[in-house]
Amino acid sequence: MSRDRRSSSYACAAAVFTLFLVSASWAQTPGPLNAITDVPGIEVGQYTSTDASSGGGTGTTVVLSRAGAVGGVSQRGGAPGTRETDLLRPENLVEKVNAVVLSGGSAYGLAAADGVMLCLEAQGIGFPVGPGQVVPIVPSAILFDPGRCASFSRRPDASFGLAACHAATGGPVQQGNVGAGTGARSGGVSGVKGGLGTASTVLSNGIIVGAIVAVNSSGRTFDTAGNFYAGFLELGNEFPLVSPAGADVVPPSSLLQNTTIAVVATSATLTKAQATKVAQMADDGLARAIKPSHGVGDGDTIFVMATGRDTRDATNLVNGIGSAAADTLSRAVVHAILAAQSIHVGSCNVTSYCEQFPQNCTK
Amino acid sequence: MKASDVCAVAFVALSAVASPGWAQVPGPNNAITDVPGIKVGHFTGNPLTGTTVVVAEKGGQGVAGGVSQRGGAPGTRETDLLKPENMVQIVNAITLSGGSAYGLAAASGVMQCLEGQGIGFPVGGGNVVPIVPTAILFDPGRCGAPFNYRPNFSFGLAACSAARSGPVPEGNVGAGAGAVSGGVKGGLGTASVVLDNGIIVGAIVAVNSVGSAFDANGNLYAAPLELAGEFGDLIPIHGGPPPSKSKPAAVPGGLLRNTTIAVVATNVELTKTQATKIAQMADDGLARALKPTHTPYDGDTVFAVGTGRISMASLGDPAFAEYLIGGAAADVLSRAVVHAILSAESTACEKSYCDLFPNACRNKKKGAQK
Repeated sequence: MSRDRRSSSYACAAAVFTLFLVSASWAQTPGPLNAITDVPGIEVGQYTSTDASSGGGTGTTVVLSRAGAVGGVSQRGGAPGTRETDLLRPENLVEKVNAVVLSGGSAYGLAAADGVMLCLEAQGIGFPVGPGQVVPIVPSAILFDPGRCASFSRRPDASFGLAACHAATGGPVQQGNVGAGTGARSGGVSGVKGGLGTASTVLSNGIIVGAIVAVNSSGRTFDTAGNFYAGFLELGNEFPLVSPAGADVVPPSSLLQNTTIAVVATSATLTKAQATKVAQMADDGLARAIKPSHGVGDGDTIFVMATGRDTRDATNLVNGIGSAAADTLSRAVVHAILAAQSIHVGSCNVTSYCEQFPQNCTK
Repeated sequence: MKASDVCAVAFVALSAVASPGWAQVPGPNNAITDVPGIKVGHFTGNPLTGTTVVVAEKGGQGVAGGVSQRGGAPGTRETDLLKPENMVQIVNAITLSGGSAYGLAAASGVMQCLEGQGIGFPVGGGNVVPIVPTAILFDPGRCGAPFNYRPNFSFGLAACSAARSGPVPEGNVGAGAGAVSGGVKGGLGTASVVLDNGIIVGAIVAVNSVGSAFDANGNLYAAPLELAGEFGDLIPIHGGPPPSKSKPAAVPGGLLRNTTIAVVATNVELTKTQATKIAQMADDGLARALKPTHTPYDGDTVFAVGTGRISMASLGDPAFAEYLIGGAAADVLSRAVVHAILSAESTACEKSYCDLFPNACRNKKKGAQK
């Protein structure tokens, strides 16, 4: 018994020592905006369409890299709606993406990418195919929100993508009921308002990782007491105070119309294969922040954009970038839920996290 | 066992297994529409580009689909949902379109067309989301056409509205309108086969390949797969240099300028997993008809659907049925490629195969085209 205890305390000391080593090399702080736009060269544009009379709404979010960014994807949700994910496979020719479109509207919302392509073509941005001719590379994923508090036929089209692309800029990123997060919900019928969130991390080696996510999950992001599953990943006092421990909530099983979609950007120079690996690791950030995730009715899809502004060879940095991508994405999920606002218009009633747990939202 | 015994056993095995299930004749239209539940619609632009829609249904519902995406420069929509582990089990239509990635917009028009008919994946309240996987080929700006003239929403709407069963126009139409192939005019082709156990397999393809469908002497690689004189008694071309083993020439026009895209369909009920396997085997039909195939510059993508008129259970061992269907799908797709090349017509910029090799086509039957 005492031997067991002694050996476990040795193990504990070793673990603490290891942790110390890890944290020493792992100092992380949020970037100045705590947004994906902290990654130099990354711009975000959003178009939000709401109907004041019904409370319904939907929208489109564009993440833009005018100089092009090496792309990758992890598509693990069970009900995806996507464009141009095949070209992201490492063996395929095109390496750089110009923009990634996240949109509401279910598969109909894939039309938003048409507008983004026209917007970029007009600026001469795209894969060059001839003198003055470009084909913008615009992977896209959608989430299901049509018919929520609004007509089923109200959904993003090419004009949404055009408007979101024209609005693209660096600087602070609006969160909550905006862009692709406008009509989002999280945790099903007993759940809360979902939304759009973003976060960033500056690693001690200077590499910057940012994430943006539209949370529209069948799974929940917090326990019965309001503790965020990803609360432990907080950087720089960015989340509310933690409540006493609560219990897990098993969401209803009938939720087939969801999807959480995200983009992770980094300043590192990655190959397509490395960007794919980072996307796979980033996807674990969804798993830590949302339970369950990657469900049958979730089309969860994570894109990566590596801008290459940091020109170091990243061969030995991929692990650190992927880990930071996961944590940053988890934190962006929490921001999305914290920034989401309740809707109470007529028969349309969706409660936000902060309405449900006001004591946790005093910051 | 003596070698002759092995030979005899092999012959018996071949006669007992392969041949009886393998008698093949083209369907009445020698087109993918010979598969019950399949309709095809084209919209052809001017200058030449266009969109082809394949609508697949059983009892007004969608059918299982799969995809093989092996070309190196693809432009696609909704291929992720075709993965067997993903939830949606059906497709309602497949869109093939010119216009490079811009042409993916055509699928939105197809979705609107189908939604207007109440066709799609039901999402409650009588609402549907049509499932329309799509692939594009590169043709913009060819032959002096404006680069910004390309299939859009309205092309998809028009092609979907024109979808019908029966004969399918080939050549410079739909997604094949602006296509080129290995130095000659490419185009749209279709073919079908009826196996003697009642299995029907059809294919439709827009051939816009870096590689060529014929050797240096002009012999079409897939000519030996001809059924019932469908290629118009092509004359093998003799003389001249032996088929080229030389290094392929530099790709004219640079990158991203090609892609062959196709749909194969069968009347057998498939799962998504089976449809995926059929698509993979069908893709070998491209490899046999075009050299090289699946290059970095081609976004070659092959979709497969099963319209469920024959249950898989009625065919015995499902793996063997898949083997038959997949093998037939490859051959039908190869033949559809030949039809595309033979049906294509010369333009101001590209000669057709038959204008380049009039000797090969001199016995081509009038009306051999459908």
